[in-house]
Amino acid sequence: MGRAEAQDRGGRKWRNEEALLPAQESQRRDRTMAALGRQVLDWHRLIPLSWASILRQTPHFGEQKRATASLLRKLTTASSGGALKGLPHVQPRKYVQELECGTSLTQCLLEKQRAPVDGGSSEREELISSLLDMGFTDVHVQELLSIQPSPHPQQLLAIVSKLILLGVNPEPVCVALKKSPQLLKLPIMHMEKRSSYLRKLGIGEGKLKRVLHCCPEIFTMHQRDIDRIVKVLREKCLFTVQQVTEILHRCPYVLREDPGELEYKFQYAYFRMGVNHSDMVRTDFLQYSITKIRQRHTFLERLGRYQTPDKKGQTQIPNPLVKDILRVSEAEFLSKTAYSTAEEFEVFKKLLAREEEEESESHMSGDKSTSEEEEEEEEDEDKDEDEDED
Amino acid sequence: MASLVVSGARHLLRRADFAKVLRRHRHKKKWAATEPKFPATRLALQNFDMTYGVQFGDLWPSIRVSLLSEQKYGALVNNFAACDHVSDELEQLHARDFVNKAHSHGELEPESGQTAAPSPASWACSPNLRCFTFTRGDVSRFPPARLGSLGVMDYYLMDAASLLPVLALGLQPGDTVLDLCAAPGGKTLALLQTDCCRNLAANDLSTSRTGRLHKVLHSYVPQDVRDKSRVRVTSWDGRKWGELEGDAYDRVLVDVPCTTDRHSLHEEENNIFQRSRKKERQMLPMLQVQLLAAGLLATKPGGYVVYSTCSLSHLQNELGSW
Repeated sequence: MGRAEAQDRGGRKWRNEEALLPAQESQRRDRTMAALGRQVLDWHRLIPLSWASILRQTPHFGEQKRATASLLRKLTTASSGGALKGLPHVQPRKYVQELECGTSLTQCLLEKQRAPVDGGSSEREELISSLLDMGFTDVHVQELLSIQPSPHPQQLLAIVSKLILLGVNPEPVCVALKKSPQLLKLPIMHMEKRSSYLRKLGIGEGKLKRVLHCCPEIFTMHQRDIDRIVKVLREKCLFTVQQVTEILHRCPYVLREDPGELEYKFQYAYFRMGVNHSDMVRTDFLQYSITKIRQRHTFLERLGRYQTPDKKGQTQIPNPLVKDILRVSEAEFLSKTAYSTAEEFEVFKKLLAREEEEESESHMSGDKSTSEEEEEEEEDEDKDEDEDED
Repeated sequence: MASLVVSGARHLLRRADFAKVLRRHRHKKKWAATEPKFPATRLALQNFDMTYGVQFGDLWPSIRVSLLSEQKYGALVNNFAACDHVSDELEQLHARDFVNKAHSHGELEPESGQTAAPSPASWACSPNLRCFTFTRGDVSRFPPARLGSLGVMDYYLMDAASLLPVLALGLQPGDTVLDLCAAPGGKTLALLQTDCCRNLAANDLSTSRTGRLHKVLHSYVPQDVRDKSRVRVTSWDGRKWGELEGDAYDRVLVDVPCTTDRHSLHEEENNIFQRSRKKERQMLPMLQVQLLAAGLLATKPGGYVVYSTCSLSHLQNELGSW
């Protein structure tokens, strides 16, 4: 097949005409490619294209490795695009996008020719075209290419395609990578494993987009650190698997927390405040800092406006809702829930901070009775209203 | 025969003249190793929620949170320590003498549960008292008091409100003063600071608490001043004072035993709200009235009595002093 022929077949779908690469196709290859292309087009029939099947195709190509690799990537993207369509959460918009992606890819597969590349510029062009094929706009492509330190094109392509495969749209991918360029330094295998882990947890597409935005370390952190957090949530806090997924996707910052502190936060909510598991998940309780939780809850408790439920879960007064305590701004909290003033709350916060400091100090010194301060006070101060006769 | 002996013995035992020991005073061999399930502090809080919730209405939550949080201290300057720099040091910490400020404002507002004596035109509050507190919203703490050059401490940390009854008493030089329930000694010390006491009688029923009173006087007041003011410390029953020393005093301070609200919310030990002391607590208002009556009887005609408690309770405050 000649170059001219390839061009004729679908010239109108070309995006960058300059990226025409000379062909070295064999007839057999084209057929295989076409077959694959058709498989891609048949995505709606849930054709599971596995790595294995793709790999089986590759030995047919007597190309240079790089070309193979790039083709492979293309095929993977296309095929997985199809595979993804099989997932239950199908959005019409993505449908169309993937369709375009698939279609244009097919076209490219059929039409675009590849040459063994040595020069960086062609590699770059290849990269650009791949990116465009995945659904990135020119603007996106420019942004991705301008990330410093600039990654190896294949590395960039690998990471980007992994994210696309997980169902994240091109725009969020671009935003995330710009914000956290360290993602581009990840080894491919690591990325692989992490992607499959996230898929197993049920975090993909929109959920992953959110997590990626807040907490990109979901990709960079060690598996054992994620495991630790998940373990705390499952074994210590006794959340169900679905609840854990909900938590991770809605409050991704829990991944950054120390497992011990996360457990303490849960225990505070469960035992001190009487908040049960489902309420905790529903109100995104775990996203708030323990300081804020303690401040607001202790304030309400001491005001007499919040009671810890007894064994039967009852209180003498109706407790305010979690959202009215934690989700609202401080001003609204003070006026609508606490019925107090900002001044009072400020002083209270200072006193509480000092109490906590002294509590932790006394824990550390292992002596729960009088601290130094207290001893001095006993000698010098007159607690006039203190002890009765004994 | 044996049974006769036994019953005889029992009879004897019944007749034996054992002094009546209050349950609390009996020697306790074993102390609890775990915390009580329903601590007295919680009982106290429940009691306060019920009474003060009604008494104060919307103001109660604010009072409640401040009772449950750390209290604010005032530093009563020890005039006998002769340290001029003390006031400066305290000012440097951004504390202010509220007595001085009140004077400059021209009025004095009584606060925690005390009924000021009626003020004739000539009444002025007790002199020579300086007490520093931090400004509103400032949660700083005072450093512990230090020993001055004269061998006494430079200031005494107490609840600032405790000073108000002493201020209200309006001491004048040469007064004979009685402090009917003096221990642990903060108000007694303040009385001495005025330098107006020709005689000061400090009394408290409890001997252990009188011991603390002694310590305070020892640490803050030099021997010569104690001698000059003829300070007499006793441990008698305050209710008997009418008979003991009727019409003897120019100024009488009756700082009655009360539910010690703040203390009862924090300290579990010997808490008056524990169930074993319920009767005692219920008898408090009567005890307070009796002490006030005794104090009144002990006052000379034309003298002043100040009745104070460290409780917010209407019952103990207003009703007790009719």
